[in-house]
Amino acid sequence: MGVEAYMGVAGMLFVLGIVCIISRRNILYVLMGIEMILNAANINFVACNRFGNGGVEGRMFAIFVIILAAAEAAVALAIVLNVFHLFQSVRPSDADMLRD
Amino acid sequence: MFALQDLHLQGLSLLSPELTLVTTALVVLMMDLIWKERDSWRLGAIGLVGLGAAALQLVSAHGTQGTAFGLVSIDNFGGFFKLFTSAATGVCIVFVMLDRRERRHRIGEYYFLLLSAAIGIFFMVGTYNLLLLVLGLELASLASYSLAGFHKGEKRSAEAAMKYVVFGGLSAGVMVFGISLLYAVTGTLDMRVMSGALAIDPVGEGVARSLAVALEQSPGMVALAMILILGGFSFKISSAPFHFWAPDVYEGSPTPVTTFLAVASKAGGFGALMRFFGVLFVAPDVGEMVAAYRNEIGMVLALVAAATMTLGNLAALRQTSLKRMLAYSSVAHAGYVLVGVAAMNQAGMEASLFYLAAYYFMNLGAFGFLLYFSGVTGRETLESLRGMGPKAPMITVPMVIFLVSLTGIPPMVGFTGKLQLLYAAMGPAEGLQLGWLAVCLGLNSVISLYYYMRVVRVLFLEDSDEPRPEPQVPMAVFLCLMAFLTVWFGLFFTPLLDLARSGMDLLT
Repeated sequence: MGVEAYMGVAGMLFVLGIVCIISRRNILYVLMGIEMILNAANINFVACNRFGNGGVEGRMFAIFVIILAAAEAAVALAIVLNVFHLFQSVRPSDADMLRD
Repeated sequence: MFALQDLHLQGLSLLSPELTLVTTALVVLMMDLIWKERDSWRLGAIGLVGLGAAALQLVSAHGTQGTAFGLVSIDNFGGFFKLFTSAATGVCIVFVMLDRRERRHRIGEYYFLLLSAAIGIFFMVGTYNLLLLVLGLELASLASYSLAGFHKGEKRSAEAAMKYVVFGGLSAGVMVFGISLLYAVTGTLDMRVMSGALAIDPVGEGVARSLAVALEQSPGMVALAMILILGGFSFKISSAPFHFWAPDVYEGSPTPVTTFLAVASKAGGFGALMRFFGVLFVAPDVGEMVAAYRNEIGMVLALVAAATMTLGNLAALRQTSLKRMLAYSSVAHAGYVLVGVAAMNQAGMEASLFYLAAYYFMNLGAFGFLLYFSGVTGRETLESLRGMGPKAPMITVPMVIFLVSLTGIPPMVGFTGKLQLLYAAMGPAEGLQLGWLAVCLGLNSVISLYYYMRVVRVLFLEDSDEPRPEPQVPMAVFLCLMAFLTVWFGLFFTPLLDLARSGMDLLT
């Protein structure tokens, strides 16, 4: 099994993440979709690092992306919690004070 | 191994502006805990001193070329954007200090987050390494998300933060995925290795291929990677098709934060974008294949520029809120700056730098005006400005100058900038036809005339019984200074032109 199989999985995960973000009405699912996209990138980095590219750059990037995802989840959940306190809802469609 | 210590010390001295800012941010955070005062002007002063020191170091490092730790590149291009960012962040801190609607608790965190975002932008514009670029971009973004929702009890602020974090997370994810594809086909994260300018990767040890080779082997993958990475940048500079967040977030955020997002954060995005596309495609020694590909990228960027300015201007036409109108105007201006990038040559990128410098003066001025009036009247609508023109001339006359400059009417600096962009669109890289984009730029300026002049009409040609607004001397001084510079650099633009020329040292 070569790098193509891994990249195929990563591609599918990416598409699933996008679909999740577009189709779900709940903000928590949207955040999960974002995590899926980041993990799809991670699979790519690690797989390409292992098969072919060599070195450490790909693995380094993957480690940093994991940290990034954690930091982003922390900030995003804090913001969502605040939104929930104010709007009593975690659906973006219920928070619609700002529009044209 | 013996030289390792010297190497590190040299790297640290090259990083002195960044280290100054990090120290300042930490000092602000600590002094906030020690002093425990609400409405502390001292914390803002510390921030301003730190930014000033960083700016001085940047100016004195002008012309230095070097690489710290193989990751952070010191050059005039990065210096231009870092100077821009520190100057813009300084103005934002002054705005926080002058903001009358700010409730002033947790003010130390406000300054800390602003400084952190500035540090993120410093790293984002100052590196050829895609990993550091993403980290810098995320640092700037994470600080900006928190800043957008800084007024915790306000529904609008909370909603703005939520929209920002969702769109920001999505675009960061898309960009990281694009970078992973680019890494898959090139085997490196360094843009210079990809472009073939460097034979050996300064940090990685893997098998690296240049972009030319990658284009030959898997053109589809490269195209997909480029589109996805452009999507990530497109969020940061609020260009189409990722501009939907901008009006909502700009409207809901506290005004000093809006200023930061519209000026510093946007310029940072442009810095990273121009470095990326400049090094990969515009550098003089790219091969024939990459040159052909460059023109396709240029065409995509031109389409994005045209769509961005048109959508921004058309949406700005029907706004009743001044803040939202300025938000759409800032989207349109991202489209203008992109015209220079789309030209895909040295002259075009210089024009973009020049326009960004012009944008700094006129947009900061316009946001300062907004901050003053929303502080006085408590509203941000155009209605609330009715008849204010003659009542506060020290504030409103500068605003007229900013609006005229934003439209691009001579003799303001905005006109000079647009002229540069028009020249850029008329003379793009070989094989690229952008005459239509120049026409589009002209037409858009005409559209924008309508909504900018509507503000002037409301200010001066309509009457109301509203009382004379309470004056705020520091803001009036700031606005007059900005207006003076807008006119001055419109007439004597050589220093700004030289700055843009010397800033574009990427491609030599």
